[in-house]
Amino acid sequence: MSKISVKNVSYVYSPGTTYRTDALTNVTAEFESGKITGLIGHTGSGKSTLVQLLNGLLKPSEGEVLLDGRNIWENPKEIGKIRFRVGLVMQYPEYQLFEETVRKDIAFGPHNMGMSEEQIEKNIEKIAKIVGLDELSLDKSPFDLSGGQKRRAAIAGVMAMEPEVLVLDEPAAGLDPEGRRAIFSAISDYREKTEATVIIVSHSMEDMADFCDNIIVMANSKVFMSGTRDEVFSRSSELTSIGLDIPEITRLMMKLKEKGVAADTGAYTVKSAAESLIKLFEV
Amino acid sequence: MNPFIEVENLSFVYEDESDKIPALHNVNLKINAGEYVAVIGRNGSGKSTFAKLLNMIHEPSCGKIIVDGCDITDKNISDEELFDIRRRVGMVFQNPDNQLVATIVEDDVAFGPENLGLPSDEIRRRVDGALKTVGMENFSRHEPARLSGGQKQRIAIAGIIAMLPECIIFDESTAMLDPIGRRDIVSMMEKLNREMGITVITITHYMNEAVRADRVIVFNNGEVVADGTPDEIYSNKKLITDAGLDLPQCAALAQELRKNGIELDGACITPDKCAEAILRALSKKEVRDE
Repeated sequence: MSKISVKNVSYVYSPGTTYRTDALTNVTAEFESGKITGLIGHTGSGKSTLVQLLNGLLKPSEGEVLLDGRNIWENPKEIGKIRFRVGLVMQYPEYQLFEETVRKDIAFGPHNMGMSEEQIEKNIEKIAKIVGLDELSLDKSPFDLSGGQKRRAAIAGVMAMEPEVLVLDEPAAGLDPEGRRAIFSAISDYREKTEATVIIVSHSMEDMADFCDNIIVMANSKVFMSGTRDEVFSRSSELTSIGLDIPEITRLMMKLKEKGVAADTGAYTVKSAAESLIKLFEV
Repeated sequence: MNPFIEVENLSFVYEDESDKIPALHNVNLKINAGEYVAVIGRNGSGKSTFAKLLNMIHEPSCGKIIVDGCDITDKNISDEELFDIRRRVGMVFQNPDNQLVATIVEDDVAFGPENLGLPSDEIRRRVDGALKTVGMENFSRHEPARLSGGQKQRIAIAGIIAMLPECIIFDESTAMLDPIGRRDIVSMMEKLNREMGITVITITHYMNEAVRADRVIVFNNGEVVADGTPDEIYSNKKLITDAGLDLPQCAALAQELRKNGIELDGACITPDKCAEAILRALSKKEVRDE
């Protein structure tokens, strides 16, 4: 079942001018409830426009955005409430940290939505644990944290509003491998504890392979492909045809196949590739 | 042959209000002219500090840096000498939005040569040549603000090339780019090194960029913990995980296969190398089966 979906959505930037750009053309996509869906595509493919439509930052030129089956623009005056239910973490969110302490910064969103002090305190405790920030760092200035910690503090600010749908645009961009793992484990943990629906925009196919249940591939303002992780990676050659990176392990399997080896080109993890190859040696 | 860059007992301490945090501890390295070196390590390992010391953006707390025979850490070094070192050792930074100064691409590239006081026809020649090298000659009259991240980085590189440098340091210059921009800049690094003979030092988190270098230096806790070919470094699982880095997927696969009694020769760190090793192992098996 889909928690949030877009139906025949188009979006045009600067309509009626010479700068007119069609960012999305008749896009229909569903985001499964309680699952992590990855959104991948080149810069300019329309994925950032799509995520801004999902929480009502942009209004579709045509078509509908449905949250729990209801058009989010049904009552435009209530659109602010949608933004609390669909939380968006933008790229490099740490640039938006501004409060005196990390604790205050995380509380900013919940305050704005009118959450009770008691509830805010509770949420901060819970979310700090999920993103791995200890008591000590909660009372620090956000500017005294390391890069990875800042990123996690910024994400915590959106998580503390307990959105039913959590959308993250390139949550791990620019982080080192440890920082990246910490971010993704925080996201998985949040999903498990709250059963929220999660949408992750990323350029990294390896991240998609490791963390997403479903994948939607965008190209040229349209959905190019969508399905479960297995389904999408079983069509790796189509992904490379539009210039997307595929996991190294899949590239290896495709190379072996080219050389006439019966390698499983649908393998996208070390484990599944190893299983497929070990069989070849056992025959 | 004398090394182009020689680093002796280099240490650096960041002075905070309250405490002193050592970022580099007793680093010794030699980098030869024409080398293509990748410097890797987790955040806070000291790799970026190291890069910023190499052209004296930071001053070392102790130790020496000798560039082509000139001790740039000497207290008596003149501004002219330091200026010349910065011309010869250029640097491309991480954020493409933070390093372009002009409102038109060709003005930006001309900024450095103008400061050298070169005649205007020489500046013109260098700007045109540099833009051509980075494949941006058709954008000379464009606004940098309207370019993609990868294109902006190419303009930053052109600005350095126009100074005729001998060495270019890339300080995580691909970290904020999308995959296409990243591929662009990495092939640019290869071109600068292989075709133009420029010494390239790239600081990166991405192992698929580091495996293309001739040499990989690993930093951890402010020290150099390993220095070798990509094959040597990336097939050493303990080293890579201790340094907080990712083992390439192919290397992890090779390890798994070997654990299961499959003999693979060579370092299997890239899909190409790994596929070849697997094909060799399969053909050996066929011979045995016959």
